[in-house]
Amino acid sequence: MTKNETVIEVKNITKKFKIYMDKGSQLKERLLFHKRNRYEEREVLKGISFQVKKGEAVGLIGHNGCGKSTTLKLLTKIMYPDSGEIIMKGRISSLIELGAGFHPDMSGRENIYTNASIFGLTKKEIDARLDEIIAFSELEEFIDNPVRTYSSGLYMRLAFSVAINVDADILLIDEILAVGDTNFQTKCFNRLRELKAKGMTIIIVTHDLATIEKFCDRSVWINDGLIVCEGRSDEVVDAYLNFMNQKKVESEPAPPANNTPATEETPPENSEVNDSGEIDYSANRFGLKYVEIRKAEMLNSENKDVRIFRTGDRLSVKIHYHVNKTIDEYVFGFGFYTLEGECLYGNNTQIDRIKINPQNTDGTVSVIIEKLPLIAGKYVLNVAVVDADGTPMDFYRNYCEFEVVSEKRNMGYFNIEHEWRI
Amino acid sequence: MKTLKEIYDYRQMIFSLVRKDLRGRYKGSVLGFMWTFINPLLQLVVYTVVFSLILRTDIERYYLYLFVALIPWIFFSASLTGGSASIVAQKDLVKKIYFPRQVIPIAYVTSSFVNMLLSFIVVFIVIIFSGTGINPLAVLCLPVIMIVEYMLALGTALITSAVTVYFRDLEHILGIVTMTWMYMTPIMYDKSIVPERLLPLFNLNPMTHIIGCYRDVLYYKTVPELSGLLSSFILGTVFLVAGHFLFLKLQRHFAEEL
Repeated sequence: MTKNETVIEVKNITKKFKIYMDKGSQLKERLLFHKRNRYEEREVLKGISFQVKKGEAVGLIGHNGCGKSTTLKLLTKIMYPDSGEIIMKGRISSLIELGAGFHPDMSGRENIYTNASIFGLTKKEIDARLDEIIAFSELEEFIDNPVRTYSSGLYMRLAFSVAINVDADILLIDEILAVGDTNFQTKCFNRLRELKAKGMTIIIVTHDLATIEKFCDRSVWINDGLIVCEGRSDEVVDAYLNFMNQKKVESEPAPPANNTPATEETPPENSEVNDSGEIDYSANRFGLKYVEIRKAEMLNSENKDVRIFRTGDRLSVKIHYHVNKTIDEYVFGFGFYTLEGECLYGNNTQIDRIKINPQNTDGTVSVIIEKLPLIAGKYVLNVAVVDADGTPMDFYRNYCEFEVVSEKRNMGYFNIEHEWRI
Repeated sequence: MKTLKEIYDYRQMIFSLVRKDLRGRYKGSVLGFMWTFINPLLQLVVYTVVFSLILRTDIERYYLYLFVALIPWIFFSASLTGGSASIVAQKDLVKKIYFPRQVIPIAYVTSSFVNMLLSFIVVFIVIIFSGTGINPLAVLCLPVIMIVEYMLALGTALITSAVTVYFRDLEHILGIVTMTWMYMTPIMYDKSIVPERLLPLFNLNPMTHIIGCYRDVLYYKTVPELSGLLSSFILGTVFLVAGHFLFLKLQRHFAEEL
């Protein structure tokens, strides 16, 4: 086979599943409750075509239920398409189910034979690979112990070693690379790279986009049973991430009117002024309540109160306060925290030298962040009002969680403007 | 033809499944694999006691008469009932991995077959110790009889295993069918007592001839009449071919139905 030969050709395949409302596969049910055998037909694949050349690694991506795993199952011939055609050249091996047919009472060595035989290897072929499989799994000392004595990590290592050492022309992988420790994963990937360099064609289905980008030359993005786009992995992954973020931002429901966290047990009407002067600093919310935060809104560029933002978009935090007892100066503050409670950024009106004059009414204070520098991830908002000496009036820890999405995959918490010169 | 080649390529899987089944069957029991031999031996003791003390018959050495027929029958009925459930029982494998699905019923029938062969060790020990003796020429026919029975068993198992995936009642229906079939086959009684008008029905039953042949070889020590065996062979071939094609057609939707 030459390098440029097409080894997988998928031609306009479709697949429908029957979803039974109340499935009766017994005679009685079939005869008596004929009407119960109603089912919905769900078209999982609506006509998918693509080609894969020899030695290519192709990733299939898409959200849950988009049809990518079904496509893989059709490729492995576990299922057959309703229409269309799949042409594959060469021996096919699949890493869909690891450790198929393992018998817990049999030794690791015996299970290698059982498991490899399920991939269609003959005894001779297994004999030839046995040492390599054992060496790869790094299980030399345990190989003659029954598999039931293995930890789940060892078990997966053995299973993966068998699967990856089945010499195939085409390897189909479904969401199973998350096995073993990082070292073993790296080893698996290196092995896959070697195999690929030798001309093995690999198709991967996974949600781990980093894997796809690192490993696959090309990607196919499937949505609702149709191919949205295919091409270079980084481009397809970008397009997919963009789409998913857009979807996430759009589908975000408006936060409930009373968006105080569930742990907060002080409703607004319970606005007694704490005159004792004693403050429980360990509480989620604490302070003397001379001034009280009624509500804090997180507004996006459309002035909607949401909990999801895009990096670089406008975000403003609007604090609604209520005055119970007039004091000399109000200091409003906000802070962004990680979920682990680490402070990423905090500031207040005092630091920024803004003086808020004494008032005896309700009011709002807004802090506007024109370009949100936080990168993709989940964060926590803290809001607070204190007096000029820093005595807490109303200090709200973990006011709410919010999410930031971005199609960039940089690391850390903040975006730092930069450029590369080469 | 391509399928047959593929099944041949997966012979190691058949071998593994058979070994797993045979070894797993008595796993955890104290006597372990010895049960393969103890089981038929104890059955023999029960039949001897029952038929020599309570249900006395005119047939000489009835325990042996029954034993040489019962062991092959157990193989056949196990293939029929157990074979029908075999694919459903391995659904995790079928749903997750590709391999020629025929491997499963083949492995099941083969494992029952090996079990029968092991039981035959006990049969031969009993034959020798009871003083019945062996006719070497007749025993040479035994493999042929076994192969014909194997074909028949495999053909039916291919059909029943595939149909059971779509129609789970079949497994239970087959429980009754095998029981009826057993009484409709001269296993516990002699074919000579069958009423004349029922004889055609008995002759249609391939197991009548097969059991008869086993009995000819091991009990009567004669070379069996091959005409009856030939009809069983033809029927076995028909079952096997029909089973093969039916299976091919039905297996396409296994993964969805399981």
